[in-house]
Amino acid sequence: MKQTPKLDRIQRLMQPGVISKEGFLGNDTRKLADIIEDDQRLVASLGLTHEMIADVMEEITDAGRETFGSPKMVGKFLKVTVEGSMGKIASPFGGLYNKENITVLNIETNESITWTTLNIHMIRDHGFYQGKGSCYRIEPKNIAKIFKLKQMI
Amino acid sequence: MDINPIVIFFASISTSNIVLTNFLGMCSYLSISRDLKASWGLGQAVIFVMTTTTMLNFLVYKYILVPAGLEYLRYIVFIIIVAAFVQLIEMILERYMTNLYYALGIFLPLITVNCAILGVALFMVIREYTFLQSLAYGAGGGIGWALAIVALAGIREKVDETKIPKGLQGAGFALIVTGIMAMAFIGLSGIANIQ
Amino acid sequence: MAVLTTTTIITAIGVFLAGLLTLAERFLLNYGICKIVVNGEKTYEIKGGNHLLGSLQQHDIFIPSACGGRGTCGLCKVAVLEGGGPLLPTETPYLTAEEIENHFRLSCQVRVRNDLNILIPEELFSIREYHAKVIRIKDLTYDTKYLSLGLAEGETVDFVAGQYIQLMIPTYGKVKEEVYRAYSVASPQTLKTQIDLIIRRVPQGISTTYVFDYLKEGDSITFNGPYGDFFLRDNSREIIYIAGGSGLGPIKSMLHKMAEEGIDRKATFFFGCVSGKDLYFVDEMKEFEDRVPKFKFVPALSNPEANDGWQGETGLITEVVDRHIKEDGEYEAYLCGSPGMIDASIKVLKSKGIPEEHIFFDKF
Repeated sequence: MKQTPKLDRIQRLMQPGVISKEGFLGNDTRKLADIIEDDQRLVASLGLTHEMIADVMEEITDAGRETFGSPKMVGKFLKVTVEGSMGKIASPFGGLYNKENITVLNIETNESITWTTLNIHMIRDHGFYQGKGSCYRIEPKNIAKIFKLKQMI
Repeated sequence: MDINPIVIFFASISTSNIVLTNFLGMCSYLSISRDLKASWGLGQAVIFVMTTTTMLNFLVYKYILVPAGLEYLRYIVFIIIVAAFVQLIEMILERYMTNLYYALGIFLPLITVNCAILGVALFMVIREYTFLQSLAYGAGGGIGWALAIVALAGIREKVDETKIPKGLQGAGFALIVTGIMAMAFIGLSGIANIQ
Repeated sequence: MAVLTTTTIITAIGVFLAGLLTLAERFLLNYGICKIVVNGEKTYEIKGGNHLLGSLQQHDIFIPSACGGRGTCGLCKVAVLEGGGPLLPTETPYLTAEEIENHFRLSCQVRVRNDLNILIPEELFSIREYHAKVIRIKDLTYDTKYLSLGLAEGETVDFVAGQYIQLMIPTYGKVKEEVYRAYSVASPQTLKTQIDLIIRRVPQGISTTYVFDYLKEGDSITFNGPYGDFFLRDNSREIIYIAGGSGLGPIKSMLHKMAEEGIDRKATFFFGCVSGKDLYFVDEMKEFEDRVPKFKFVPALSNPEANDGWQGETGLITEVVDRHIKEDGEYEAYLCGSPGMIDASIKVLKSKGIPEEHIFFDKF
């Protein structure tokens, strides 16, 4: 994939302090096109698509959102907390999204994973899982974990 | 070299087309040819830049560089003149043709490094053209480049609706089309030959 | 000698081209003074070349914008009837087909190159920029603060209870550009020399991190406003207030208004929190029960902890509301909280037969 001027513009919006305090890229110095392409390859090697991953994240988020911030058990093992803030956050790709922080705790293994509503949109529509070192990066190996979560619902 | 400027003009559009025979200026040729409107816009800009800079470069070369014995600096001087002119065009477009300005975006400054423009200026020196010949060559070269990119854009827009093998999508396919177009232009070689 | 001529000639060529470009810039990029006609009545003379958003700001017309003109929030829409030039690729993601039809543009992307004819909602004219000092920062809970801002000597602010302002967050740490964030005013509208805000920490938030970790009492801060059509409608319907987290702010301001004006409409305030550690202002709300004739405060915890010793309503705020209000009553509802809570509350209210046009909430 080639880094187009449009991706350049988007990558500038992903720098720290432009849309979010820490930015979307962490300490990743790769071009946005390469980040997306590398993750695309990893996701494909797991036999998944962005769509499938976003669907599961959305399903868990929707289930947890009903309780406005109190932890909710989804299935037997997952404690989901969806903390919504007021206001909207802009996506570097365009559009406004709710500010929601989703934490999923597997009470059996005590492993937890965190994402935001913006993450789901960026994965579904743009295949962007954030740069390495970003606090909201969804590592593909964690994606496999999410899929295990789904089976527990 | 005593060729009629009119012959040079038509030859540089067809048989000696700068893209299809010299394969110069490929970068923007490949990247902008996805959209017919934008490619025509860029084509116009290249026609203008190529004609004016070839004239200017000719004058600067003949009346400044040669008398001072500075022919070896022509690469730098030509590039500076082209760069300045592109800047000028950018300002003109921003003021009077805003739509085109945004459609071309980053590719407008890219004309600066469009090697077709430098190529035309250097060929003009190598072939020892006169002022009128250079003017004809510059204008013809620009029109030829525009013709080639508009033709390619037209073909690509049609081809977009068909299925292309994944590995050939984009630049790969554009290069194949360019090759076939180049062969088609050979068919015109009986008209005139200036190389 | 040869070196000298070479240098001279190259320099001469360079200087000539640079001069040409400077002249071109002078004449081509100089747009002179442009006239901006606003709503067909007011005319402003503005030096051309800059973006519309900033140009209007120089004339004290503040268009709401959360991103500070970077084209990421899509809030600064105005209708540009004439002279706006073509729609830019940076704008299209934020405009609906209907808005494009009605000539809406993002004012941060439109450059003033010639005379313009634009439409701006009338209420934006009362929006101004204010300079204030932080009088007090008080902790309400572990993640919520009460911020009091005092206006500069002689300045006053006119707003209607329920409206919001935009706080300007200066550059700090990695944040290299100013940003604006919206907060509802919690203080009474009659107190014109001070505004209070309730701010809850947003994880990784640019603005709340600044307020929580950098801002100190005595610091100067700038805000503009007021904005919004979230205010008490004048009628006799029974009022339902629903809020969660920092959403208590505008409701508090409305209660001040009801107390001061002696509004005796029946009103109930459902305040939803997760557990006791999120609950605040209980005493203040109880006080309003004495001051506002027919007001009742109903706090609810969805997940009370053992040491909260909670005696009040338990359950999700939507469940509590559902239990308390009658079917097909003459109600009017004012909501403030997270989008998730607002959406769920609207669903419950509608199921009780309250029409959409009687439900109000802020969309920012």
